[in-house]
Amino acid sequence: MIDTFELIDYLKDKGFSLSAGVPCSYFKDLINMLEKDSEISYIPATREDEAVGIASGYYFGGKQGFLIMQNSGLATIGDALTSLAQLYKIPLLIFVSYRGLEPDADFPEHLIMGDVTKNVLDSYKIPYWLFEEEKWKDILSESIERMNETSLPVCLLVKKGVLSE
Amino acid sequence: MKGADVISQLNDVLDGDELIVSSNGNVSRQTYHLLPGSQIYLRGSMGLPVSVGLGLALAHPEKTVIVLTGDGNFLMGLSSMVTVSYLSPPNLKIIILDNQLYATTGGQETTSSKINYKTMIEGMRITNVRSFDFRDLDHNLEELFLESLRYEGLDVLHLQVEEDTLELDNIPLHPEQITKNFQNR
Repeated sequence: MIDTFELIDYLKDKGFSLSAGVPCSYFKDLINMLEKDSEISYIPATREDEAVGIASGYYFGGKQGFLIMQNSGLATIGDALTSLAQLYKIPLLIFVSYRGLEPDADFPEHLIMGDVTKNVLDSYKIPYWLFEEEKWKDILSESIERMNETSLPVCLLVKKGVLSE
Repeated sequence: MKGADVISQLNDVLDGDELIVSSNGNVSRQTYHLLPGSQIYLRGSMGLPVSVGLGLALAHPEKTVIVLTGDGNFLMGLSSMVTVSYLSPPNLKIIILDNQLYATTGGQETTSSKINYKTMIEGMRITNVRSFDFRDLDHNLEELFLESLRYEGLDVLHLQVEEDTLELDNIPLHPEQITKNFQNR
């Protein structure tokens, strides 16, 4: 597992000072830690598109936030992405749990979105990386670099066990 | 009184330092044409002006952030008001222009007429909520606006207004330019 402390420290070093989203059990440790963090606040949004709105407003104000959501949220944020974040050139780092794979065999509610997750990201034209324990700093660095270069949203797909048991 | 009259009168009390977020459609057009400065004119993302205003208020706690939203937009993002209450940024002022219509798309009715806004928003534990019916009524809004702006806390002003008749040109800025202009102001 990636050390959540280290991850948050890395994000602080990269200039992130706010996080917002809707929880997934895959992000339990990360969100628990962010809730206690004094430098990066965590906003529990009621919907994932609301979190995109909050982080966009934060960026209009010159500051950088990141988002946390389940891949089900990718369906909810379609308009917020295409008619706000991408349209207004808002850089966003989005941690998305990759539900609907083998560990979710008994959870049919995740299977269809799991099957189309990469297609959805391709359709939105959002660059994405599998966020894996090995070389996680390189992956994170590359994705943040792309986010800043393009001033657009990028996504990290997080499988079970990478950030929480 | 119409929504555009409200926005015109808001101009009289602003000191130019306020940051404004306007909801997509007529409200953004009116904000662009009737209010000064480079503001955040949302052109899409219906339902998100309150959330964008919240993020902006958190980024700039030293500045007053005003959200101008129509009722259709406000209702689509209604749950975002609970998040606003949870954080209660004292520099955030939300003005709801309620004509009970999706006016931009041709005047289809919203469900807004079913709501007691003051009771509903106070139920979210937001304490400074005022609601007025200015249909068939001209009113000088200066005192109302000043009270919102001077109040040192989260403030919501709900105004029932008539449908606009003002025809305004589209906003001549691409959203990328809106972002640049706002960040360079």
